[in-house]
Amino acid sequence: MKKYQLGEFEEVVMLTVGVLYGEAYGVSIKKEIESRLKRGVSVGALQTALRRLEDKGYLKSHEGEATEERAGRPKKYFTITAYGKKAMEYTRSTREELWNAIPKVALKVVTGFRLPVADNLQLETGNNE
Amino acid sequence: MKEVPPQLPLRFFRWFCHPKLRDSIEGDLMELYEERKVRIGKLKADARFIIDVLLLLRQNIIKPTEGYQTLNTYGMFKNYFKISLRHLIKNKTFAFINVFSLAVGLAACVVIYLFVSDERSFDTFHSKNKNIYRLDEVQKFTGTNEQKVALSMPGMAPAMKRDFPEVQSYTRFWLRGKQLITKEDTKQLIENVMVVDSTFFDVFDFPLVQGDINTCLDRPLTILLTETTALKFFKTTNEALNNTIFWDGRDYQITGILKDVPENSHIQFDALLSMVTYTSGENNVNDSWGGNWMTTYLLLEPTVNIKSMEEKFPAFLSRYMDDPEITTTYKLFLQPLNEVHLASTDIEHDYINYRKFNGSYLTIFYVIAGFILLIAAVNFMNLTTARASHRWKEIGVRKTIGAKKVQLFGQFIFESVILAGIALVVALLIDALFVPMINDLIGRKLSLFHLFQNGWQLAAVLVGTLSLGILTGIYPSFYMTSFNLSRVLKGGNKGEGKSVLRNTLVVVQFGLAIAMMVSTLIVVQQLSFMKESDIGFDKDQMLLVNMNFEANEKFETIKKELQQQSAIRGVTASGQRLGNNFHQGGFKVKADTGVLSITPSNINVDYDYLTVYGIEMKEGRGFSKDNPTKNGSAFIINESLAKELRLKETIGTKAGHDWYHNDSLGSIIGVVKDFNFNSLHYKVNTLALSLHPEWGYSELSVKIEKGRTEEGIAAVKKVWDELVPSYPFDYTFLDAHFEEVYRSDNQMSSVVTIMAGLSILISCIGLFGLAAITIEKKTKEIGVRKALGATESQITVLLSRKFAMLIIIAFVIVSPITYYALHRWLESFAYRININLLLFVSGGILALVIGLLTISYHTITSARANPVKALRYE
Repeated sequence: MKKYQLGEFEEVVMLTVGVLYGEAYGVSIKKEIESRLKRGVSVGALQTALRRLEDKGYLKSHEGEATEERAGRPKKYFTITAYGKKAMEYTRSTREELWNAIPKVALKVVTGFRLPVADNLQLETGNNE
Repeated sequence: MKEVPPQLPLRFFRWFCHPKLRDSIEGDLMELYEERKVRIGKLKADARFIIDVLLLLRQNIIKPTEGYQTLNTYGMFKNYFKISLRHLIKNKTFAFINVFSLAVGLAACVVIYLFVSDERSFDTFHSKNKNIYRLDEVQKFTGTNEQKVALSMPGMAPAMKRDFPEVQSYTRFWLRGKQLITKEDTKQLIENVMVVDSTFFDVFDFPLVQGDINTCLDRPLTILLTETTALKFFKTTNEALNNTIFWDGRDYQITGILKDVPENSHIQFDALLSMVTYTSGENNVNDSWGGNWMTTYLLLEPTVNIKSMEEKFPAFLSRYMDDPEITTTYKLFLQPLNEVHLASTDIEHDYINYRKFNGSYLTIFYVIAGFILLIAAVNFMNLTTARASHRWKEIGVRKTIGAKKVQLFGQFIFESVILAGIALVVALLIDALFVPMINDLIGRKLSLFHLFQNGWQLAAVLVGTLSLGILTGIYPSFYMTSFNLSRVLKGGNKGEGKSVLRNTLVVVQFGLAIAMMVSTLIVVQQLSFMKESDIGFDKDQMLLVNMNFEANEKFETIKKELQQQSAIRGVTASGQRLGNNFHQGGFKVKADTGVLSITPSNINVDYDYLTVYGIEMKEGRGFSKDNPTKNGSAFIINESLAKELRLKETIGTKAGHDWYHNDSLGSIIGVVKDFNFNSLHYKVNTLALSLHPEWGYSELSVKIEKGRTEEGIAAVKKVWDELVPSYPFDYTFLDAHFEEVYRSDNQMSSVVTIMAGLSILISCIGLFGLAAITIEKKTKEIGVRKALGATESQITVLLSRKFAMLIIIAFVIVSPITYYALHRWLESFAYRININLLLFVSGGILALVIGLLTISYHTITSARANPVKALRYE
């Protein structure tokens, strides 16, 4: 279970790095997430996540060009490693398995009426995560 | 001009950020800042910049404290630490021996420190303690031993205040001892009642809880009580204040409540009466000269020169006392307050000196602590160097990689410091366990917490441990780093080299252990000699009962009643108690050459005092009712006094107290054999016994039959309660009193015994370890010898011989030194044992036997081992 650990925010970062393929560095990732997910991302949170993903071996980085607006500081570009790709696939497949396991009827939510089965199911998913 | 983000947060960011991330993240920050500045203005961009920086304060972005690159040697220290712990775990026996012996050594030192600092803390709570002096006298009366006394004349202090500008203030103590104080129906014996001057609080800092410190002793018939005393009569101290209590026929007003006297004060009291009570009436004690019955403390100017002040004392005495010989009979001297507790063993009539201790023993204790620590350190040094070969490979590899000598040296020092640190922790645990037991043994209230009360003591302990680690580490480190690299790596030449130093250390260790063991034997022997030697009277089973006026009035009745009890063997009474010097008083003898005046000790006794105490007569007869003489006209003297008088015919010689008229003297009726009424530290003084029932006796002595103590006490109590309703039955035993007299000596003996045991223990476990290592190295030799036909016993002897030699050498070296030291100690006793040389030899043999037994485990196992096993090794 602990094989590929990927937190929610970490997953978002991984996916965004994928989306930005080749152009993923601090500011671009931040902007991408902010614009796509409509949520604020602090530099600190992002950098911590990147660092953690790099330590886990899901991402690798290389230094790029230095531009004027960056006061001569180089960009650090991130790319997904093979191992990182596996982790993403694993996360995705577990999600899908879970989705598939949900009986169709459970998602047919009728206002003012709950099936007792739904409670059990929620419990089960809770356990699996 | 290009606008830049706020510099302070930026600098802060650069400081805390991990250097590897710094550039790229700073770039991101800059990029964002530039963009925001255009979009939302500089001010907001600045704010956001600051927020971003602060939010970057995260664990994996902040640079690690250890540094990201090895610019220092933390890592190496970590490695040293790991390696030394691994070594400890790998060689459990040696780790145990090292840690345990150091821990025991440190634990002993801590206990000794606690003991010594407790003794040293006496009287330090008085803020003026450096300027307070006790006025003592050296008395040299004719016909009596010269003596130092803690007493002085009542008139002295007031006269000194007038005559010497150096004297800022004084206070005198008039010891009244145990007194019966009453309040309505409550009757209480108050242990320690004293009369003090109104200037008491100018000199001393005993805390007054209630009452006016400036005026509470200013009026006659006022009394101060300690809290405990006050609560014996009243429910609260508030109720006690300004109330009255009744003592000795008069009411006294309570003008103040004192805190109970701290344990570390040599002056202990339960109630203080105002001296004005005795100076305002007709008999003003301030004018009293001649008799010494007060204890005087002077508060002097800080700048005073004690020597030159003492030089003025003879003139002072001549001024006030009309006696041409006054300056030879009396010499006054000043004793600093901080010496009263620890340096008064040679001072007699020292009644106000709670827990008096022989301060020179403290030095001995320190020396002993040093010895124990040394013995423990020797263990460490020996075992570490002896096991050096086990670490040659490590040293070799380190050297090859480029370790300098200094670094290796540092590593081993570091290891021994770690070991000392572990030992300290263990030592404190040991102490936490044993301090209460030791307290029981020596009657103290030592506490380990005392060590943690002030920082410098704790720092001293830590620094001490650190330096112990460093000092013991120096020699092994030096030894281990001195090897030649190629030789070390080849692993060859395990040749032991010379172990001269190691052998020397074993000699030192055993020398100290033997010295302490022999000393213990001698000290214990001397003390039991004092307990059991014939002191000339019978102190066992002697019940002493405090007597008041009524008890004296009914003395004959009490005596008769008690004599009828079967458990009681004898009843008598006396004015003073045995076990200390008796008061001296003038005594005259009419010899052929004229009237001799001398000053022997005096005691007022009952008729059968000598019989009840079993004191033997040498000549003449004892006091007897069958042969009645007028009270005070018959005297018995002791042998020493008889010798001093050098009379042709002692019995029948006219004699009397010095106030008797020359024509109405009594006569000497007998001479008793010398008995040690004082402690055995002192020679028997000259003594005159007289019979004065009309003066009143202070104590009833009841001899109880052995084995019927309980019954005897009950019988005395019954008679007492019937006949003396005015005074509670209050008793003690004479041998308990003697225990108190020799307490300082007994405590020293306990400490020395414990320490000698510990030193032998530590030496032996060291020897055990050393033997293991030496024999391990000889495994091959033993195998070859056995294969060639050596017997087990031959091999055991071979292995033991070296250690036996070392112990014998130690014994030879240490014996004369110990003999000298013990001789010096014994000189402080007037009655002492002779040092038996056999005892020395037996101490040495004991050490040898213990040592050989210790190593026998190793010698015998290796001697018995199958030679095949030994030879297969390697």
